[in-house]
Amino acid sequence: MAILERSEWYDVARDTNWTPSYVKEEELFPDQMTGGLGVSRDKWKSYDEPYKTSYPEYVKIQREKDSAAYSVKAALDRSQMIETADPGWASILKSHYGAIALGEYAAMSAEARMARFGMAPGMRNMATFGMMDENRHAQLQLYFPHEHCSKDRQFDWAQKAYHTNEWAAIAARHAFDDLFLSRDATSIAVMLTFAFETGFTNMQFLGLAADAAEAGDYTFSSLISSIQTDESRHAQIGGPALQVLIENGKKEEAERLVYMGIARAWRIFGVLTGPAMDYYTPLSHRKQSFKEFMQEWIVGQFERSLIELGLDLPWYWDQMIAEFDYQHHAYHLGVWFWRPTVWWNPAAGVTPDDRDWLEEKYPGWNDTFGKCWDVIIDNILAGRHEKTLPETLPIVCNMSQLPICAIPGNGWNVRDYPAEYQGRTYHFNSEIDRWVFQQDPVRYRDHMSIVDRMLAGLIQPPDLGGALKYMNIAPGECGEDAHKYAWAEAYRANPYAKKAA
Amino acid sequence: MSAFPFISNFQGDFLLQLVVSDVNANMDEVAESAAYHSVGRRVAPQPGKIVRVRKAGEADFFPRQLKVADSGLKPMDCLEFIFANPE
Repeated sequence: MAILERSEWYDVARDTNWTPSYVKEEELFPDQMTGGLGVSRDKWKSYDEPYKTSYPEYVKIQREKDSAAYSVKAALDRSQMIETADPGWASILKSHYGAIALGEYAAMSAEARMARFGMAPGMRNMATFGMMDENRHAQLQLYFPHEHCSKDRQFDWAQKAYHTNEWAAIAARHAFDDLFLSRDATSIAVMLTFAFETGFTNMQFLGLAADAAEAGDYTFSSLISSIQTDESRHAQIGGPALQVLIENGKKEEAERLVYMGIARAWRIFGVLTGPAMDYYTPLSHRKQSFKEFMQEWIVGQFERSLIELGLDLPWYWDQMIAEFDYQHHAYHLGVWFWRPTVWWNPAAGVTPDDRDWLEEKYPGWNDTFGKCWDVIIDNILAGRHEKTLPETLPIVCNMSQLPICAIPGNGWNVRDYPAEYQGRTYHFNSEIDRWVFQQDPVRYRDHMSIVDRMLAGLIQPPDLGGALKYMNIAPGECGEDAHKYAWAEAYRANPYAKKAA
Repeated sequence: MSAFPFISNFQGDFLLQLVVSDVNANMDEVAESAAYHSVGRRVAPQPGKIVRVRKAGEADFFPRQLKVADSGLKPMDCLEFIFANPE
């Protein structure tokens, strides 16, 4: 019997719309779960997913991908790559696994919501595969770090991070809960797949796989490449959903979801990928700065996608691009200074050669961030290590849950962006974070930041020791300087002098 | 003794911090509490200068001897700490 080409049966097979007789249509697809914004199911029929596949095809390809990733891991298990690589690379792996692995499980739930409540059959079909993708990603990124746990407890945070009140875990949970775990199907399509995956993770995973190969970590490179190929497929769920919304008079609502999604994703990207690219990656392996990467891949990608869809750029676009010059430098300084509160060992990344590179890529770095590092370096060289450690908490943003920080030194521009709501004062890192809050204050109002929890007496004793206990960071898991301050020795004989321009 | 928590925005530092002083402290003492967490850690000392206090976004400093209890400040107000020449 001849087998039909997929294109000859696909549209019929994936058209799972039917007319319900036992329940009303609005009970089968309630607005609260679909987020259809009043666009009828009939109109959603025009949804046309750009990537079409069938279940047998999907399984065949995924099996090959899984085999490849696990085979590379098995072949290189004895390579001792992690033990011999620069400690900065191990820090990238640990921060990545802890922040991402269980986030993939959350994404699986989100894809499942689209698979059940998506307004269009094509969306439900793609999301079914997306759901299985995300399950695979979670399993891979829990299994791969596990082999390192016996030698280094920080790798256990791939499993542990999301089950703690560690501040970065709170930030990741807050963002991922908001972007996709607690959203309706249409919002998930826009905020998870379009804003977060197309815009950020898809591109980031491409770069990360290349960086891993450059660092000689072929196991991680093949793992991330395997995941990225799934991302590039299921990230396409959002585009056609936006098209349907725009064609049916919902452009303003669609833009609002996109703008909120990009705003929130940028913060996560800034704190995770920014330090990894500009500080943790050894200088000899850096191919481009984080800012160059953002401008070339993320800004370009978004501008093309938004213009193609007929959407306007976000009102904050110029402001966000301006932040590429400083926000991740501030996050990096914060993570390094508060290093006992993270599950990885931050690499300072500020040797004299690093500083020349930073000054070249970010003119003015030495007069701003360099001023803070000068004080830190003096303390390290004088053996005043206690002065390089915190004795209080940063004020964290009530949206990103990350420290409120900006440019220090001679360019000092740090400030609070407060907002009053129902008698409570909320603090934000920027106009952008405050704007997200103001879009739906009821949604965000009850969340307590780590500082709110300290003030409410939930952290006892109310000091760094109490905070570490609250964050469930056990001895042996606290972050410390990745290179045990060896990098600072370069300054002992030769105080830093800026290269002549 | 009654604790007075506030947000410290210290000139030259890169972030806002939670600092605790006392409602009976004067502004010089509040500045000292804030400096403890910034100066000599990430902000270089400025010998010969003093640190003045003002409410975030305002131009005028509080009088140096003004007590927190008499200043109208509320817990968790954001204060700016600026190096200045002694009068």
